[in-house]
Amino acid sequence: MHIPDGFVAPSICIAGYGISGGMIWYSLRVIKQDRFSQANIPKSALFTAVFFVASLIHIPAPPPLTSFHLVLNGMMGTLLGYYAFLAIPIGLFFQAVMFQHGGMSTLGLNAVIMGLPAIVAYSLFRLRSKIPQKRQFLAKALAFLSGSSAVLLSALIFASISISTISPEFDADAEKFAIYISLGSYLIQAFIEGLFTVMIVSFLERVKPELLKI
Amino acid sequence: MKCSRVLSFLLFTTCGISQPVFAHGAKIDYQQTSAIVVRATFDDGTPMANAQAIVYSPNDLDTPWTKGVTDESGKFTFVPESGLSGNWDVKIRKSGHGKIISIPFEIQKQVVEVNSPIANKDQSLPVVSESDPTVNSAYSWQQKMIMSVSITWGFLGTALFFFRKQT
Repeated sequence: MHIPDGFVAPSICIAGYGISGGMIWYSLRVIKQDRFSQANIPKSALFTAVFFVASLIHIPAPPPLTSFHLVLNGMMGTLLGYYAFLAIPIGLFFQAVMFQHGGMSTLGLNAVIMGLPAIVAYSLFRLRSKIPQKRQFLAKALAFLSGSSAVLLSALIFASISISTISPEFDADAEKFAIYISLGSYLIQAFIEGLFTVMIVSFLERVKPELLKI
Repeated sequence: MKCSRVLSFLLFTTCGISQPVFAHGAKIDYQQTSAIVVRATFDDGTPMANAQAIVYSPNDLDTPWTKGVTDESGKFTFVPESGLSGNWDVKIRKSGHGKIISIPFEIQKQVVEVNSPIANKDQSLPVVSESDPTVNSAYSWQQKMIMSVSITWGFLGTALFFFRKQT
């Protein structure tokens, strides 16, 4: 789900940096008001490492779908809130430098693709406070929804950017068809990441519930 | 009557009125040349089959020189124009993923030794450098080392922070 260097126009790359820059500024403003930032910063560092490594975990998908790697942006948003929009660009930077996933010119764009859905996941997970204590199943379902919706949203943004930026020298129909097929693998990925988020949330609830308070 | 018909048929077919038959003829020529083989894979090493490939020649990086599709093993082969040295850019893309690679291709003038049967004759030999397969296919031990250390420290350091004694 990383857009590589050289496949989108410079103006779109600049717009990506502009939007992600604005989001980082807003996230920093929110974090400044956080009373527990001293504890939340190391937590963000931990999950940045998880996010960075997650791209190396490949899960095979049935043909004609290709394998996919974990993104975990939904989990990042669920557990980190606005800290996720700082953690994700850092993770993406290291992924681009060390593994050539994405690129430096598209770093801002990739941060938008993965960061904005993380904030959406956070907003969804915050609804958890309105769920009564007895209905734990609903809380788990909300964690699943947060984890999976972020991946789906990222996939949709990625697909729309990819489709709208197909350069004329490529066969646009063939490329669009390949993108639609790949959306199938993102559906499986969303399910897996939703389950993963439920597992992490359930584990933290039992071991260290204060880590879920963002 | 029958006999005269057979005779006329035989005359017609054997006396050169018939046309040569082209449908079953075959001719094979060959030409020795140097081609560039590009192999595209996804991050996990799966071949990028049926991906679109576009080649740009060194003297025109805006107009595609040739186009094609990778085969089942993710390979795309093209023969660079003879005598055109420089960097040949190859762009490969499938489902929004892809890469651009710049391949240096040089024509080197080489003088053949005097004792050789084709003495005093200049030869143009194409030279294509081969990319290091370890760069794209696997991580180097340094990368793995840095990854392991940073991950271990990340987990351990954070766990220690949260389980520290509160003062």
